[in-house]
Amino acid sequence: MPSSISSSEENRPERIEPGQLGSQPYVRPLPEMRAGTAVLIALFAFAIALAGWEVYWRAWGAEPAIRNSPGLWAIQRGRLDHGEGHKTVIIGSSRMLFDVQLPVWEQVGGERPIQLAIEGTSPLPVMEQLADDPKFTGQLVIGVAPDLFFTGATYMADKFELYPKETPSERVAQWLSMTLLEPWLAFYDEDFALIKVLKRQAWPAREGVPNFLSVRKLSVGQADRNTHMWSKVENDPEYARLCQKIWAQHFGDVPFGSEEVLHKKIVEQIDRAAQAAAKLRARGVPMVFVRAPTDADYRADENRWFPRATTWNVLLEKTGVPGIHFEDYPAMQGLRVPEWSHLATADAEKYTAALQPLVEQAFAAQHKGD
Amino acid sequence: MTFNSLTFIAFFAIVVLLHSLPFSWRTKKINLLIASYVFYAAWNPPFILLLWASTLIDWQVAHWIDRTEEPSRRRLIMLLSVVFNLGMLGYFKYGGFLLQSFQSLAAMAGVDYTPPAWDIVLPIGISFYTFVTMSYTLDVYLRRARPGDSFLNFALFVTYFPHLVAGPILRPTDLLPQFERESRATGQQVRWGLMLMMLGLFNKVVIADGLLAPVADKVYGAKDALTTLDAWFGTLAFSGQIFCDFAGYTTTAIGASLVLGISLIDNFRYPYAAIGFSDFWRRWHISLSTWLRDYLYVPLGGNRKGPGRTNVNLMLTMLLGGLWHGAAWTFVVWGGLHGLFLVGERLLKQAWGHLALWKGWGGRLLLGALTYALVNVTWVFFRAHEFPNAWRVLGAMLGFGAPGKPVLTTWLIVSVAVPVAAMLAIHAYMRERELHVEVARRPVALVGVVCGAMLFLTVATQGGSSAFIYFQF
Repeated sequence: MPSSISSSEENRPERIEPGQLGSQPYVRPLPEMRAGTAVLIALFAFAIALAGWEVYWRAWGAEPAIRNSPGLWAIQRGRLDHGEGHKTVIIGSSRMLFDVQLPVWEQVGGERPIQLAIEGTSPLPVMEQLADDPKFTGQLVIGVAPDLFFTGATYMADKFELYPKETPSERVAQWLSMTLLEPWLAFYDEDFALIKVLKRQAWPAREGVPNFLSVRKLSVGQADRNTHMWSKVENDPEYARLCQKIWAQHFGDVPFGSEEVLHKKIVEQIDRAAQAAAKLRARGVPMVFVRAPTDADYRADENRWFPRATTWNVLLEKTGVPGIHFEDYPAMQGLRVPEWSHLATADAEKYTAALQPLVEQAFAAQHKGD
Repeated sequence: MTFNSLTFIAFFAIVVLLHSLPFSWRTKKINLLIASYVFYAAWNPPFILLLWASTLIDWQVAHWIDRTEEPSRRRLIMLLSVVFNLGMLGYFKYGGFLLQSFQSLAAMAGVDYTPPAWDIVLPIGISFYTFVTMSYTLDVYLRRARPGDSFLNFALFVTYFPHLVAGPILRPTDLLPQFERESRATGQQVRWGLMLMMLGLFNKVVIADGLLAPVADKVYGAKDALTTLDAWFGTLAFSGQIFCDFAGYTTTAIGASLVLGISLIDNFRYPYAAIGFSDFWRRWHISLSTWLRDYLYVPLGGNRKGPGRTNVNLMLTMLLGGLWHGAAWTFVVWGGLHGLFLVGERLLKQAWGHLALWKGWGGRLLLGALTYALVNVTWVFFRAHEFPNAWRVLGAMLGFGAPGKPVLTTWLIVSVAVPVAAMLAIHAYMRERELHVEVARRPVALVGVVCGAMLFLTVATQGGSSAFIYFQF
C-alpha cells in the first residue's frame, strides 16, 4: 500500500519506455534442485497414502456409492423442467429418502418416481418451489418427519438452493465426480472426510460447550437418488447404538426452548403447507402426506412434542390433503427400524410395497374429485 | 470454475495438452484465449459480454490516447475508459450500496424513501479485470508504455485465466512481453509449477476451508455475547482463513501459469511477519497495493506535497481501497483503520523511529506482534458484515460488554491454534527468505514427501468446490 517509506517494486520488471514494450519479460526464479525426483516421490507418497486410506475405510465396511450431493439433487430436480414434469415426485426428509425404494415402487406401480426428499430438511421449501413451477403437473408424495416438518428445519438447504443457481462448471464437476470417482472410491464420502474424522475424536469437553456428535453415515445411494440403509447400521449393533445415541442427544429438550414458540412454529408450518397445497391443487396436482415408521425413544420423543392430534391431524384438515400414517396400517407395523428413525433395507422394500397402492388410491380419489 | 474443483482439473489437463502440442505460438495463444473465456463462462456465460466490452474499449481508448498529442483531449479520452470501467463496477457492485446509503441519509433527514429492489448479480472478478484493463489505458496515458500492436496479446493479457478472477492484478509490463515472443515451459518450470499448485490447494482446501472457516463462521455467526477467548480465536481463524484462501489462490494461479511457461508476479510475501503497516502492505495483496499507489496515491500527490497532505492522501487511498473490497461501510472502516495505522506509524516513526530499541530482535518482535494484533482488529470489520456484529466481537476481544458464553469446542480451538501457530512460525522464518531458495536447500526426499502429504491431505479433506473469498470482490 502507498507509504512514504518505500515504493519499491522488487518483484516487478522495470518500467518499460515508450516504444519498448516487450523488452524485458519477467521470469520467475526456480529452485535449483532435482524437482523431477521430488515430484515423483510426491506422487508415490500420495499414491501410497491414498491406497492406505481407501483400504482402511473398506476394511471398516465402507463401499463406493453415489454421493447424495446438491448436484445430484439438482439433476433429479432438473428432470421436472425437461419433459418429466408429469411424473410422481417424492419430497420429504431422510425417511422418505431411505424408506421408499424406487425399484419396488416401479415394480408395484409401473412408474419410477422422482426422488427429491432431502435428509435433515423440511419438505416445505421444495413443496413451495414446486407449487410455483408450472412445469410440474404430476403427483406429489410429501413425507412428514414431525421434528423437521413442524419446525421448518432446513439443515441441508444447500441442496434445494443450488438448482436455480447452478453454474455450468458445477454441473460438469457433478458429472465428473459421479462418473470417475464415486463409483470406485469408498473413502470418497462426506462422513469419511478428514476434518470430520478429526472432529469426532474424543476431545476433552470444554466447560459450557458440550461435544455434540454429528449424524453419521446411514445410507447408500444410487444415481437416481434411490437410497437404502447402509448395511453397517443394520448389521453392526455397536454402530446402530452410536446412531441411536446421536439422535438421543436432543431428546427431552423442547424444540426452540419453549412450548409457546414451538406451537407458533407448528402453526406457521401448517399455514405454509396449506398455501402451497392450494396452489398445487389449483393446477390439478394430487398430493398425499406420508408419515413413515419410527421406533422406541425416537417415536416417544416425537409423540411428546408433536402429538398426532395437534400436528398431523391438523395438517390434513387445514390442507385438505389426504394422509397415510404408518400407525393406521397393519402392513406397516413391526418393521425393523435399527436406529429408531429409518427402516432396514428389506423392511423398506416391504413398506414401499404397502405404501405405493395406498398412494395411488389417494391420487385416484383426487382425480375423481376433479 | 474454481481451482479446487474437478472441472478445473479436467480443464487444466486439456489446456496443458493443447499447449504442449506443436502448434504455432499464435495458435497456442488463441487456444489460451479461448480457454480463458471458457474458464470465465463456466460461472455465468452472459457476463463474458462485459469482459469483451472492457477489453475492446480499453484497447481502442489506449490507441486513441497514443495517437493524440493535445493534453486536454488525451485526458478526455482517458476519462472515457475510467468512466466506463468504474461505471460498470459501480452499477454491478455498488448500485445496491449507494441506494441503501441514500435511503439511510434520507431517513436521517426525515424523508421516508424506499429504493427499488436491486437484484443485480455481481459478475465474478469484475473488480480485478476492470483494474487490469484500466492499468493498460492509464499506463499509456501516463506515457509509461505504448499500446501494443497485437489485439490477441492484449485480449489474452486481460483474460488469461490464472489471474482473471482474483488476481494478481497485472500490469501490461507483467504479461505482454511474455506473450510477444514464443516461450515453452521448461521441465523445471512444470515441476515447480505443480509443486506450487499442491501448496496453494492445500492452503485453500485443508487450512482455510477445512480447519479455519468453521471457527470463524461459528464465532461471527453466534447470536449471543462471546467470551474474550472465543472472540479472539474466531478472529485469528478468519485472519488465517483469508490469508490461506487468497494466498492459496494466488499460489495455485502462479503454479498453473508456470506449468504453461508464463511467469506471474508474487502477490504475498509472508504478511503476518510484517513489522509495521507500511511493511504489511508491501507483503499483503501486493498487486493491489502497488496499483493503488501508482494510479491513486501518486496522482493525488503522494508524499510530495507536505506531511499533512501525505496523510490525507494515505487516508483517501486506504478508504477507497477498503471500498474496492466490498460495497459496505464495514469495508470502508477496514480501509480507514489501515489508513489511520499507516498515518500513525509515520508520525511515531518521525518521533521515535531513531531509537536503538527498534533495531534489536526484542523491539522488532514487539512491533511485529503489535502489527499482527492490530491487523486482526481490522479483520473484525472485514468479516463482520454489519456493525452490530463487529462491535459485539470487538467488544468481547477487548473484554468489554456483557459476560459471554463459550461457543468453541476443544476441537475447534485446536483447529485454530495449530495452523495459526504454524503459519506465524513460517511467516517469521520466511520473512527475509524466498521459497524457491529454501526448498532447494532441503533434501529432495523431504520435499517430495511433504508435497505428497499435502496432496493426500487435500484429497482426503474432500473439500467442496467452495468459492475463494476474493471472488466476491
